[in-house]
Amino acid sequence: MAGKILTVIETDAGRVRDCSYELVTLARELAQATGGTACAAVLGDDPVAAATQVAGHGVETVYAVKDPGLAAYTADGWAAALKRLMASEGVDIVLFSHTPLGWDAAPRLSAVHSLPALTEIVAVEDGGKVWTRLMFNGKFQVRMTLDGTPAVVTVQKGAFPPCEEQGQGAVKEVAIGLEPGAIRQKYVETTSAPASGKVDLASADIIVAGGRSIGSKEKFGIIKELADALGGQVGASRPVTDAGWLPHEHQVGSSGITVKPKLYIASGISGAIQHIVGMKQSGYIVAINRDKEAPIFEVADVCIIGDQFEIVPALTKAILEARGHG
Amino acid sequence: MKIVVCVKQVPDSDAALAINADKTWILESGINFGLNPYDRYALEEALKIKDAGEGEVVAVTLGPDRAAQVLKTCLATGADRAIHLKDDAFQGGDPWANALALAAAIRTVEPDLVLCGFQADDDTLAQTPVLLAGILDMPHATGAMKIERTDAGVRVERELEADRREVVDLPLPSVITVQTGINEPRYASIKGIMAAKRKEMKTPDPADLGIDPSQVGAAGSRLRFFDMAVPPKKEGGEVLTGTADEIALALVKRIRENTGVL
Ligand SMILES: Cc1cc2nc3c(=O)[nH]c(=O)nc-3n(C[C@H](O)[C@H](O)[C@H](O)COP(=O)(O)OP(=O)(O)OC[C@H]3O[C@@H](n4cnc5c(N)ncnc54)[C@H](O)[C@@H]3O)c2cc1C
Repeated sequence: MAGKILTVIETDAGRVRDCSYELVTLARELAQATGGTACAAVLGDDPVAAATQVAGHGVETVYAVKDPGLAAYTADGWAAALKRLMASEGVDIVLFSHTPLGWDAAPRLSAVHSLPALTEIVAVEDGGKVWTRLMFNGKFQVRMTLDGTPAVVTVQKGAFPPCEEQGQGAVKEVAIGLEPGAIRQKYVETTSAPASGKVDLASADIIVAGGRSIGSKEKFGIIKELADALGGQVGASRPVTDAGWLPHEHQVGSSGITVKPKLYIASGISGAIQHIVGMKQSGYIVAINRDKEAPIFEVADVCIIGDQFEIVPALTKAILEARGHG
Repeated sequence: MKIVVCVKQVPDSDAALAINADKTWILESGINFGLNPYDRYALEEALKIKDAGEGEVVAVTLGPDRAAQVLKTCLATGADRAIHLKDDAFQGGDPWANALALAAAIRTVEPDLVLCGFQADDDTLAQTPVLLAGILDMPHATGAMKIERTDAGVRVERELEADRREVVDLPLPSVITVQTGINEPRYASIKGIMAAKRKEMKTPDPADLGIDPSQVGAAGSRLRFFDMAVPPKKEGGEVLTGTADEIALALVKRIRENTGVL
């Protein structure tokens, strides 16, 4: 294998996203292992500025794929443009981040080649012959091979470090000429959830978060009592807010809020990657879980293996006593 | 409006899981299975659309005999009929092989809309619905947190990161994957469970669907899993042991010494 390894760059308000620079790290690693070349593609109606940002990061060529139809992301637009680029450039591996863009576009592109995609990978061996990913909410990992090319891959955010600036690659403008009608989705707008102003987890010093295993809105009281005793805020994993036990603004994680309190207590939360990314930067992390294998323990400073319905009330009592309210 | 809902039977979220002898998948004996949580939201979305107008909801699954249970759940909850791809030739497939089989079954329904859960809670591959859309040549959108009918099709709010959403319009027919929390799924009533017994459940084999058995199931797969294992653990933190009260006291001490918040 000595073809091209193509990184699909994502931008946010014109800036190249950090996760895209993580992909470039992987692309460079794969290029070195296979004797191939690391390339990147920026798609848009005006992609040259972002392509120029990427060009100084150790890739040989950055394709600035330009078309009025690529002004906003659509699955059809991205798949059609990348299909053409790949056909003309001889690409063996295409790398996306496992983001709302990546999981939407990558399988669509692999389908063009009648192949499954390799989704949410966290490691690679043998120059792209063996890929590793997690399953069952991080409980297990599995290694995979794909019999066929190209390998269309989505990479978990944070699995590779962002690349350093290095060298100066070429920016190559490509006019892709999408036919009108080729894009069936019509982008309307991007919206942000309105903040209620009632809770502000992002600036909280103390957060006590509960998970699915609390079991009901009523039982969530034990989490609230501990948060009150500490003078902190209540956080939650997604199933809690999905079920309506708490409003969405309490949800910590990739599709909720990223928090960085001095103290984060996670009770009955397994530690799925989407939760971890939202709280791992907390100053001091306490995890309570009855499963000693729970991935949450890997990011915890203090691990308590036990039943939250015993531990949490005992802790509330001890905190109140320590503060002289007991 | 004819709506297909693709569903999968997965291990219950609190099942005690172990790895099989080949290290390719979990040991499936002795655990409980149920409807993939993401699919419950997809089913509810289909039933809501049906409630708002008229139409038919067809539940489709690919899986062994035991997977009939999730179709029964769908029928009892309000789906009108079901298709179960349970022939041996369909089993053990990768996402492409599965999407190919599902597409053949879905073509027989000629739906206006195909709804799927965002991902399966077991393998979390999050790709079969998009492959399916590719095979059916339908446009798709993933991670819907809102689906609305429009004159020309549907308007979908896709969930992005950090509490943002992307609004897109799609024509019909299309394939949409649904995120958890989009709605409040209903549960089957006793009446629904009784009614489900009279509803149709088809079990076509590859020949019925006009597909070559070598293209589906394990034979048609090119993505292979091996060496399944518990991931190497990063060095975790200090483990506190003792009675709940002892642990609580030790923890108060740690919080005092390390955080400055007490
Ligand atoms: C695109 C996408 C975005 C997502 N965004 C987010 C997000 O922003 N935030 C988020 O949190 N999730 C998010 N998720 C969901 C995520 O993948 C997990 O499903 C979720 O975090 C699991 O929540 P949980 O830990 O509460 O539940 P589970 O994974 O079911 O874990 C429950 C835990 O409780 C433990 N337990 C059970 N009983 C007890 C007891 N009595 N005492 C102590 N421990 C007990 C169990 O051992 C288990 O570890 C997202 C998923 C996707 C696909």
